[in-house]
Amino acid sequence: MIKPAQQSNKVGAVLVIGGGVAGIQASLDLADSGQKVYLLEKSPAIGGYMARLDKTFPTNDCSMCILSPKIVECGRHLNIDTLTWSELQDVSGEAGNFKVKVRRKARYVDLEKCTGCGDCAKVCPVSFPDEFDAELGNRKAVFRPYPQAFPNAFVIDKRGKAPCRIGCPAGININAYVALTAAGKFDEALDVILETVPLPAVLGRVCDHPCEIECHLGSSHEPVAICALKRFLADYRREKGTYKAAPKVEQNLAKVAIIGSGPAGLAAARELARKGYKPEIFESRDKAGGMLRWGIPDYRLPPDVLDADIQDVLDEGVKLHLNKKLGKDFTLAELKKQGFEAVVLAVGAQLGSKFPVEGYDLDGFVDCIDFLNQANINPKTKVGEKVTVIGGGNSAVDAARVALRLGAKEVTIVYRRTRAEMPAIEEEIHAVEKEGINIIYLTAPSRLIAEGDRVRAMECVRMKLGEPDESGRRRPVKVAGSEFIIETDMVISAIGQKVDLSGDDEDSKKLSVTKWGTIDADSENASTNLDGVFAAGDAATGPASVIKAIAQGRKAANAVDCYLRKVPFTPEPQVKPEDITDNPPAVEESDIKVPRCKPEEIPLEKRIVNFDEVEKTFTEEQAIAEANRCLRCAVCSECMACVTACKAEAICHDAEDEIEEIHVGSIVAVPGFEEYLSKLKYDYGYSRYPDVVSSVQFERILSASGPFAGHVQRPSDGVVPKKIAFLQCVGSRDMSCRNDYCSSVCCMYAIKEAVIAKEHLKGVDVTIFFMDMRAFGKDFDKYYERAKSEYGVKFVRARVSDVFKNNGDSRLTVQYSSESGCVENDDFDMVVLSVGLESSAELRELGKKLKIRVEPNGFFYSRPDEPLCSSREGIFLAGAACGPKDIPETVIQASGAAGKAAGFLSQARNTLTVERQYPQQKDVRGQTPRIGVFVCHCGINIGGIVDVPSVTEYAKSLPFVVYAEENLYTCSQDTQEHIKEMIVEHNLNRVVVASCSPRTHEPLFQETLREAGLNPHLFEMTNIRDQCSWVHMDNPEMATEKSKDLLRMIIAKSAYVEPLTASLVDVTHSALVVGGGLAGMTAAMAIAEQGFEVTLIEKQKQLGGNLNNLKYTFEQNDIGKYLNELRQKIQNNEKITVRTQTQLESIEGFVGNFISSLKNSSESITYEHGAVVVATGGSEYKPTEYLYGQREDVITQLELEQLLSEQKLTDDIKSIVMIQCVGSREQGHMYCSRVCCNTAVKNALKIKELSPKTEIYILYRDMRTYGFSEQYFQQARDKGVIFIRYDIDSKPQISDKKGLKVAIYEPIIGEQIQLKADLLVLSSRIEPCEDNDNLAQLLKVPTNEDGFFLEAHVKLRPVEFATEGIFVAGLAHCPKNISETIAQAQAAAAKACVILSKEKYEAEARVSHVDISRCSACGTCTGVCAYKAIEIVIVDQRRDLLAAQVNPALCKGCGACAAACRSGAIDIKGITDHQINQMIKAL
Amino acid sequence: MEKINTENLDPNFKYDVSAYPGGENIKLCYSCGTCTAGCPVSAVDADFNPRKIIRQVILGMRKEVLSSPVIWRCVQCYSCTAKCPQNVKFRDIMRALREMAAAEGYVDKQMLEEVKKLDEFTQKIRRDMVNLLVKDKAEFNTVKTKIEKSISK
Repeated sequence: MIKPAQQSNKVGAVLVIGGGVAGIQASLDLADSGQKVYLLEKSPAIGGYMARLDKTFPTNDCSMCILSPKIVECGRHLNIDTLTWSELQDVSGEAGNFKVKVRRKARYVDLEKCTGCGDCAKVCPVSFPDEFDAELGNRKAVFRPYPQAFPNAFVIDKRGKAPCRIGCPAGININAYVALTAAGKFDEALDVILETVPLPAVLGRVCDHPCEIECHLGSSHEPVAICALKRFLADYRREKGTYKAAPKVEQNLAKVAIIGSGPAGLAAARELARKGYKPEIFESRDKAGGMLRWGIPDYRLPPDVLDADIQDVLDEGVKLHLNKKLGKDFTLAELKKQGFEAVVLAVGAQLGSKFPVEGYDLDGFVDCIDFLNQANINPKTKVGEKVTVIGGGNSAVDAARVALRLGAKEVTIVYRRTRAEMPAIEEEIHAVEKEGINIIYLTAPSRLIAEGDRVRAMECVRMKLGEPDESGRRRPVKVAGSEFIIETDMVISAIGQKVDLSGDDEDSKKLSVTKWGTIDADSENASTNLDGVFAAGDAATGPASVIKAIAQGRKAANAVDCYLRKVPFTPEPQVKPEDITDNPPAVEESDIKVPRCKPEEIPLEKRIVNFDEVEKTFTEEQAIAEANRCLRCAVCSECMACVTACKAEAICHDAEDEIEEIHVGSIVAVPGFEEYLSKLKYDYGYSRYPDVVSSVQFERILSASGPFAGHVQRPSDGVVPKKIAFLQCVGSRDMSCRNDYCSSVCCMYAIKEAVIAKEHLKGVDVTIFFMDMRAFGKDFDKYYERAKSEYGVKFVRARVSDVFKNNGDSRLTVQYSSESGCVENDDFDMVVLSVGLESSAELRELGKKLKIRVEPNGFFYSRPDEPLCSSREGIFLAGAACGPKDIPETVIQASGAAGKAAGFLSQARNTLTVERQYPQQKDVRGQTPRIGVFVCHCGINIGGIVDVPSVTEYAKSLPFVVYAEENLYTCSQDTQEHIKEMIVEHNLNRVVVASCSPRTHEPLFQETLREAGLNPHLFEMTNIRDQCSWVHMDNPEMATEKSKDLLRMIIAKSAYVEPLTASLVDVTHSALVVGGGLAGMTAAMAIAEQGFEVTLIEKQKQLGGNLNNLKYTFEQNDIGKYLNELRQKIQNNEKITVRTQTQLESIEGFVGNFISSLKNSSESITYEHGAVVVATGGSEYKPTEYLYGQREDVITQLELEQLLSEQKLTDDIKSIVMIQCVGSREQGHMYCSRVCCNTAVKNALKIKELSPKTEIYILYRDMRTYGFSEQYFQQARDKGVIFIRYDIDSKPQISDKKGLKVAIYEPIIGEQIQLKADLLVLSSRIEPCEDNDNLAQLLKVPTNEDGFFLEAHVKLRPVEFATEGIFVAGLAHCPKNISETIAQAQAAAAKACVILSKEKYEAEARVSHVDISRCSACGTCTGVCAYKAIEIVIVDQRRDLLAAQVNPALCKGCGACAAACRSGAIDIKGITDHQINQMIKAL
Repeated sequence: MEKINTENLDPNFKYDVSAYPGGENIKLCYSCGTCTAGCPVSAVDADFNPRKIIRQVILGMRKEVLSSPVIWRCVQCYSCTAKCPQNVKFRDIMRALREMAAAEGYVDKQMLEEVKKLDEFTQKIRRDMVNLLVKDKAEFNTVKTKIEKSISK
């Protein structure tokens, strides 16, 4: 290891912000080069957008397959701390020593304990749109974004409390039981209710459901029918007979007396019983229930329902004494004597009060309470013919409806305010209206008119609403002279109730009473002025709702408990308004479209003649449908199902956010992008038509792990589309949505998605509507051409104006105009919007916190000459956060930014990193195998299907197995410790685990072996989860048998595995950079900045390469000055040796140990180095077309740039024509030279600046001014530059009679145009360096068919070769501009430094091995080795014996040579033929 | 085919149009054709092509554009302006072209006034026809046929 410098005031740690592919790459590069890394990711897992993609262009690699190994590597890296589900809070300090505050959001799942088994998600009732699947599918409230996620742990999406919960006075966890109902878990749902309150069937009928008022859906639509759901749950369980009272708590605590058996009394009694007390209820009447029985009519609450609910309470251990009235049959003092240690008064408010009016004492004027009571006792109670009810509350409504049922011909309600102020619940008012009861509003009685002793009529007076009174309602005021008469023979007064404390009891009389006649009880702890006496319900609060009474009862029980335990009263935790989520889901149009379920009602004519229950309960289907209307405001409903399900005890619902402070020397910000919100493009129908999807959604549709498992189908109806349209530039190149830039990647991803769709669906018709096809990257044009010719993807050059649906048709019509001007309508089954890349408000916020410059378009500002530097020292940038870009460029920038950060902190290298120390490895060679077997239950994932105990027993019977055991989770931390103990205890020398995927878990177990002093390659693993319990879940026996088979096979192999050791090679800490252009110079500087020696060789006389010919950029920078400064810096840097006029003559050796021969005109010198950067550049093609070379007025863009920089453009040049794609994008050179469109625009703008009157025509095929260059294309148009498009088959025609003329077909006008060309400028292609082939042979690295160097992997290893230790940058790789070249050179340098920063280079352990006795030296293996790790050499000088020899430092163990070897001389260590044969034999 | 020769065209035409209020963004046009695709006139009249008119202006085809009857066919509905991704205000450009055509003598000075009246007239017809369609479909069809016949004469 490279030792840290002695004095460094910089912190050797880096904060990487953003866990996408850029963050992962930057973290790996930094950690691998000796910096401690904190990787901050706001989502629960790293992976970013790339994890969501199906395939990647232009190779069609599976995105997840190539990313996943990086995710695993990053996640397991010893020196990378991955902080997921975390946000940057604040940054202070300065470059070299930043102090960063990070908010680690509560995950509610313990990362240490969670094994990722997923049992929690299985039981979670809350389904929520899955962001990962772009909301096409659902996830649970407890979730893992995707199966390969790191950390492989779940997270609970908890967003405060749902608004409904604040509505319930009793604090029932409403959203939990709604969610459980939606999931069809009715019993569990009822349990949630019963946990808080008794009497669910009663509440489900008569509750005034204040929760529904708070319901978020109700803010714009009808609320969820919460109350009706409660009734359904109660009725469902009663009907199915599965009700079980909670087990009685036999604690034998004190006796408590409850006076009154109404809702408050019952609730208090049950709660006390649940707490272990012995509650006894004393009821004055002959039946329990209080006002529930006597005050509520049977058609609303049938007596049998009430009886059953009360019985449930009694069954929990509550004694009931009927006909015992306080003050008459017993006194408080007597209760005390009988051993009751506390009393709860829940006597209710039973006394009715009659309206004080003239005629008060007449017959036929009754009080509502008496009336309802009478009617409840005797359903044949006589009523008048014309009944009038005074009042507007629920009792008034009840009385009116009862009167109707008792035979009244006409019923009228008189209420002094309006319908809006009526206190009765809406459903009841509605029922009254429906049943034909007349309500007269704004009216009050003034006197009763008698006929004899009876009421004959009532005089009323009209009211109007005046100023608000203390209740906030407007006070009714009499309208003078508005008296009128209502004929009536019975008047029911329903204006309120009073508490009856008339009993003859000494103690009761001492009770302090309020001015309203209620018991003066503490509103918090329910205590009265008498010791040990508490009050609850209407008796304490005055008349209130049932649910309030129950809440009171609970509260009193809690108070009694505290009192008896002699502890200070602590109220139960309650949902507070500030707990309510401030981020509820938006109410979408689709939510509103589903109406609230209405339970069935018995027909009107049947219902008003008897007391049968009017409303029926929901059916199961209705209940599920209604519960599914819930928006899941808080996402997690806190039903706690996961807590029970998690066998690892990893769930902790009361976790809290934590703020962590970390110290870093530098920051790499790679937070990525957001996709454009398609909904904003109204004309394209997104969110109005479900079959208009965004490209991100289509990516998920294509993905095998997506919502439709890779089956391409329409979201609306699941039909397989026959015709798909892609619309380009949605949210890009569009000033109307303020995104005036090009998103750079959409053209290619659209082609890719089109091609993959074609592969998925044979014969599907795919059309891409585009403006300019921007396939500007390496090998992109070939992909585009293949899509057209091989796959038959159609390309239509048009920007679509509208997407709409013709009435009744399921297809979508796309409207556009062809170039000839016809308005076309074409029908498609699906439309995909290729959405652009955007910044976000979050990105701006992050920029603010980092104090870095943010561009007006929201992207981070980066310097054109230092594209990876932000405006602030020590903070580096990469990826799409500083402008749209594709994956390779993102990866390049990430490596480059990591290199910049590592360079900035080079003095602090290895100061904070740690190396793991292992005990000495035991030598087990030659020992008899002693195999230990560990079989995993994986919670219930395996154990629920496979008979794990029998598999374990079976393992014990197998050869060499000396120990076997089963584990709940073999991967848990405590099991690792246990495995180590077992290794020692049983002297194990081989370990086998039967569990899940080796891909995710093998490294963990190997680590455990190393810690126990065993070689990690003595570990073997078999996957009995994916391959047994998951795929055979319907057949447990078969799954068990197969598990045994797999285990037997792996044990057979295990007996033959041997310890393997990776070879360690020394590293020469210096690099060779070939090529002294911009890329080479930048790479050399970057390597030197990291503190390593570099030799830079250049074949020309001076450094600079193409930069010598470039004069300025869009930003008007002086390139000459930049070049001189760079040269100066290089010359002055003592770490860099520059050798001009020097070429690489030969190179030997391998990674870390190269020996090169560098040759100039006079001598050859030998140079030893650890890495090579190839930066040999490219050059402008000298055209043969368009009279180039024949006329002086035909020049190239580079020549034009020279003229312009010298201001040599003469005044007689009035009209300039530029032709694009000269020698590019055509047969033989099917690639885009990438820079020419921008160069033409740049030079055109320069000309317009120098001479605005000069006419400039740019003849192009596709304007490829990608990214932010789009603005210069726009500027050029604005300055009057004229762009004319041509097709490859109608190239511009030149004539030079009478001056130079260019003829071109103008496709929109549809005619030939002749342009005068005083100067013809050709944008000719970039060619690879002519020496490339030679160099490629020397280095044994490949080039592509165009002659550019071919990197190891176009997506994720864009600057590396498959051969370790050799890197590429600049035009040698493919055409690119200055900024891109700088970034790539910095990336190549960073990669080289990863190797140079190591004292020893550790190669693979599982490498190939040649048995030279069998090798025939045929050389087949050398040809197939991608890593150039195997060669034919003389192995025995004496006998002149040739054989293949493997360089273990280069070998990657891929096995290609072993497969190719005809003599069977090659084996891969750790997976030898012999070992595999043993496995097969065992089967 | 006769070639259009840029030497015979007027490179200042685009600058002149962009000097008119609302004409300032004409040069930004990148010929995507959204204006034409969404145009209710283009939908029934293949000769009316906003994209082409802009193109002609940019190339300097002053005479062809200002003397063409198509510039009078726009119904000034702003569809083009609403949909344009480059903020080209084609409806305003149309007005500029009409004013230029009148000012430069390509049409009768009264033309602007006449077309304005015509627009009012067609609006009235439309209003009456819509009313008729709601009230009496048979009568609507009769009248429609009559109008069609008299126009096609």
